[in-house]
Amino acid sequence: MVMAPKLLLSVDIGSTYTKGGLFALEGEELRLVGREVVPTTVDHLGRGFTQVREAVLSRHANGGHNTNSPFSGTKVTCPALSIPVYWSSSARGGLKIAAVGLTPDLTLSVARMAATSAGGKVVRAYSYELAPEDLEDLRAVEPDIILFTGGTDGGNSRVVLHNAARLAELVSPAIILYAGNRKVRDQVVDILRGREVATAANVMPEVGTIDIEPARDIIRHVFLDSIVDGKGLSSVVAEAGREPLPTPLAVFELVRTIAERVPGWGDFAVIDMGGATTDFYSHTKSFHGGDAIILRGLLEPTLKRTVEGDLGLRVSAEALFRSEASFLEGRLREAGTDLALLKGYVEEVSRRTEYLPGDDRGRRFDRLLAAACVRAAALRHAGIFQRVFTPQGGFLVQRGKDLRQVSRLVGSGGYLAGETSPDILLEACAPGADDPDTRHLVPEAPACYADVEYLIPLLGNLAADFPGAAARAAVAGLKPLGPHTN
Amino acid sequence: MDVPRIVLGVIGADCHSVGNKILDAYFTEAGFHVVNLGVMASQDEFLDAAVESNAGAILVSSLYGHGLIDCEGLRQKAIERGLDKILLYVGGNLVVGKTPFAEIEKKFKDMGFDRVFSPHDDLTEAVKLLRQDLEDRKR
Repeated sequence: MVMAPKLLLSVDIGSTYTKGGLFALEGEELRLVGREVVPTTVDHLGRGFTQVREAVLSRHANGGHNTNSPFSGTKVTCPALSIPVYWSSSARGGLKIAAVGLTPDLTLSVARMAATSAGGKVVRAYSYELAPEDLEDLRAVEPDIILFTGGTDGGNSRVVLHNAARLAELVSPAIILYAGNRKVRDQVVDILRGREVATAANVMPEVGTIDIEPARDIIRHVFLDSIVDGKGLSSVVAEAGREPLPTPLAVFELVRTIAERVPGWGDFAVIDMGGATTDFYSHTKSFHGGDAIILRGLLEPTLKRTVEGDLGLRVSAEALFRSEASFLEGRLREAGTDLALLKGYVEEVSRRTEYLPGDDRGRRFDRLLAAACVRAAALRHAGIFQRVFTPQGGFLVQRGKDLRQVSRLVGSGGYLAGETSPDILLEACAPGADDPDTRHLVPEAPACYADVEYLIPLLGNLAADFPGAAARAAVAGLKPLGPHTN
Repeated sequence: MDVPRIVLGVIGADCHSVGNKILDAYFTEAGFHVVNLGVMASQDEFLDAAVESNAGAILVSSLYGHGLIDCEGLRQKAIERGLDKILLYVGGNLVVGKTPFAEIEKKFKDMGFDRVFSPHDDLTEAVKLLRQDLEDRKR
């Protein structure tokens, strides 16, 4: 007699679609046995969740074939309710985080890193002393969390205490997470008494030392508490019997797990491009050293996420059009198309965010916008080399993260998941520098893949409990693109 | 009592790293908390590090002879960043050629440096002076 495999359901509530996948755990491996997608029910997220869950399970019970990985006849012998449910939610495009730091290049920069790698979206960033108008501004953007940093441990306390006093005046339901100079932590908590305050270890305990994990962990908990309250998610918690992960965090952890568990995947990147943002995840050593290479600035972490709020195909199309105007104009000139036509298209799709082009012109424009998103996201994520001439000879100064050893590039999210050629992803490898003494440290010639079944967030939900299986299933589910890929 | 904090580094496009490591070890041994920026540090990096770590002094090394141009304006920038009380020390082969040390010292003092050291100065003396100067600044 063959034992029925254990089934696991994973659901991701995105801002546009709610996706569900049913997986069979067979020995040490996970296999997709069914998937469903329904539009996200914005007014009550729990409804979409239930729809997806029921659709996946009933189709499965009927021996349905609604999947590219055909279901091979496993019997459902257990009642649907006993199937464990793992889930994630993008929570309106991410937790809104306002970052407060001391100097822009040190604590503020590390605070941004902590916020984005916890799955948040940095809506504001402030350095030095907060001014009264900053408080007005902070109130207006309604952040979920204020990540309050500044000073090394035992370092600056004057500005930190000043900012604590300012934040104490702020009228906002935002949770204040203090992750600055440890020496004044108790004083800061005291000043902010009566407010909702959490504390974590200093994100930069020493100049140049990054310690963002403790702050990340607190942000994740805040996310759970704050998003679960609204929009019907508490009913999902009750139904699933488990709290959600923020979608970007699920992806972040899956990237880590793949790099650690799948041979040959130690250096890779994922680009998740959507209507509103483009997220770039990389796992590769940040700095490789060498005789004539000097690192300046912060040593960035091996696993890094950046999220670009102005790079997207729909909601952010107008912002993209503005920030990448010269690139878009150049490409259009080569193609002999007028910029005004693209401008009209951008205006239209940013109003009708659900729009999918039905004609060649629209598809060409979407392709161009996608190319601009991928290219800009890569350039912003990657560091640079600058050639400097010194009395001791020529040197290369590295700033930021070196992605040249990234050997695999994965496209995820609606548009990139559907790609059949590596062209758009390879835009990430464009040199992009006008200055001959500057070189962008983007991937050089990566193999490209498409996350055709949107498995990355779904398997990200399973990565904590089934790390090896989730990592292998995610890689197995990718479609190789183009001639470079093996 | 707090361990006094100092920021150390080699300024400009200067890659001389050996002396920097010796200074780091020496001042650490002498009881200072050293924030070492290493070689090729810019003025802004010195100042950022001093602001974040609340350092009492910035110790700038320059070995390649371009010290004057690299150090110019550091005092003014420090004041702009709110580091109005910070001690600025500089040392090394500060200018090219055989300029008498007294002249070099005067130039750097005019630029706002509190102490100027030649390659022949004794580090024990430098530590003593730094301790004394930090004490004086507290008053």
